[in-house]
Amino acid sequence: MTIFEGRGLSVRYGAVKALTNVDIALEPGLVHGVIGPNGAGKSTFIDGLSGRARVSSGVVTFNGEDITARSPRWRRRHGIARSFQRTSVFNSMTVRHQLEMVAERNGESDLASLVDTLGLAPVMDRVCSEIAYGTQRSVDLALALIGDPKVVLLDEPCAGLVQDESVRMLQHVRDICREREVAALLVEHDVEGVFRTCDRITVLNLGEVLASGEPAEVRSNPAVVQAYLGSAA
Amino acid sequence: MTDNLTGAPELTITPGGSDSQTRLGTIARHRHWLVGGGIIAVITLLGLAVPYLVSSKFNMGLVLDGVILAFLALSIGFLARHLGLISLGHTAFFGGAAYTVGIGIGRWSMTPTVAFVVAVVVGTLLALIMGVLVVRSTGMTFLMLTLALGQALYQFSTQRIAIPWTGAHDGLQIDLSGGTFLGLTQKSMMNAALFWPVAWVLLMVCALWLWITGRSRFGTVLEGIRENEERMRFSGFNTDLPRLIAFVVSGCVASIGGALFALNAAYVSPELLSFTKAGDALTAAIVGGLGVLAGPIFGAIVYVLAQSRFNTSGNLHLYTGIALVLVLMFLPGGILGSLEKWVRGRLSRRRQATPPSTSEPSSPEDQS
Repeated sequence: MTIFEGRGLSVRYGAVKALTNVDIALEPGLVHGVIGPNGAGKSTFIDGLSGRARVSSGVVTFNGEDITARSPRWRRRHGIARSFQRTSVFNSMTVRHQLEMVAERNGESDLASLVDTLGLAPVMDRVCSEIAYGTQRSVDLALALIGDPKVVLLDEPCAGLVQDESVRMLQHVRDICREREVAALLVEHDVEGVFRTCDRITVLNLGEVLASGEPAEVRSNPAVVQAYLGSAA
Repeated sequence: MTDNLTGAPELTITPGGSDSQTRLGTIARHRHWLVGGGIIAVITLLGLAVPYLVSSKFNMGLVLDGVILAFLALSIGFLARHLGLISLGHTAFFGGAAYTVGIGIGRWSMTPTVAFVVAVVVGTLLALIMGVLVVRSTGMTFLMLTLALGQALYQFSTQRIAIPWTGAHDGLQIDLSGGTFLGLTQKSMMNAALFWPVAWVLLMVCALWLWITGRSRFGTVLEGIRENEERMRFSGFNTDLPRLIAFVVSGCVASIGGALFALNAAYVSPELLSFTKAGDALTAAIVGGLGVLAGPIFGAIVYVLAQSRFNTSGNLHLYTGIALVLVLMFLPGGILGSLEKWVRGRLSRRRQATPPSTSEPSSPEDQS
């Protein structure tokens, strides 16, 4: 059952078409990956879906309701959260302080288990700017997952992480989405990680959909192999 | 699952956090409020002794001027500390309130007490109007917008059309003989030692108000907005409204200072609306320390005293400039800010020197 959908989404920056006619449908408990080379429009896609960038045509729906013109704040209050490619945390606050602040706003009932799952318990009372980069990424993810959102849009949660951290991060994403029945969109550079983690995959190239479907299907798609995966496939 | 979506659940982050732990946490939080409130109460009481300690009438006048400027410095410092915004337009509320006292008493025959209340309301309304116009901007844009709006009011006060109301550059004499303010007669209001308790206690009430605002949940939201506004919006927070509220609160504090100035000086001039006044307050706040609540208050008193000394030497601006450069170079957090940093550094070094009584075993997960 689709809970969150983007239909025919296009985003323009002036004369530049950053995204053209892209469709996506997210379902609870499933992780939908979006891959593509640099400049393919992945971040623009998330910006359009989350209300950060203005959509020039197309609609975004949530539970069947058209929410294209809704503010980021409205979306978050109604269960659509996102994370950012560049770590976007509150640097001068302690981890506890910021998680509690967002939890109070969004009514999180089980922060303790989220904190435990993401391994944040040991750093709760440390100021965010002083903790390791990988842990900051987990705080970023926690900020998006607080308050039982129905949809999370994750913009390269593994950016800047080493292989081990990256594997663990994607595992968390998958586990939490299944456990909490969250519909997730995962934009990621780590192609193998996406194939390992996601239930469905969309490949973007130059702002357009190159292929979309189950991981195996996408991996064997000749257009994808030729344009993007190359010999690695 | 459905429980999570309704009501405001109680937060317990410590895994397996028991009732007693929660209670301890609550006590710890209350203790913090009590300590802070207690410190402000003690400082208020100590401050009441100032007229007995300062013997010369001239110096008492200077210290009182410092306290009046402290309202403006405190209000500008509040916005800088909690939102990272520097306003040069707060003179509009300071001067606006002062003029309201003058006009209220002179033209509408208000008693000083009524004029004071009306002036604070008018100053706060001006803050609301300016706030609506500037609150969406940040950084340099905010600074320039507040400067422009403040200067617009200054220019307006000197226009021919405003002369019957403001007296333009001649200013406005205020006849305070028509009533009392908190029991003070005209003579007492203009006497620095007798006016001191009123100004000092009101300043401390404002400081307490701003301190509570800063430490409350609302203050946390302001901190979040200062740190990362975009993330706040994407975390479900309204970011414009808290900014506007903070702006109006700080404008109200500036208005109280302006109204007190008018009652003490019995004279209002356009200089009160000029951005040089805001410059004085901002410099004072920086010298005292923008990052500490008491910084702007301390800075304002030091600033006024120093200005008086520099002025007698005949090189006011040269010495002010040199003093500011020295503070910025050697005490980058301001005088109180640097002092606080030094004390904190010493305390944390001492804490590190004493080994913790119980060493926590590190869990295997931490090492993975």
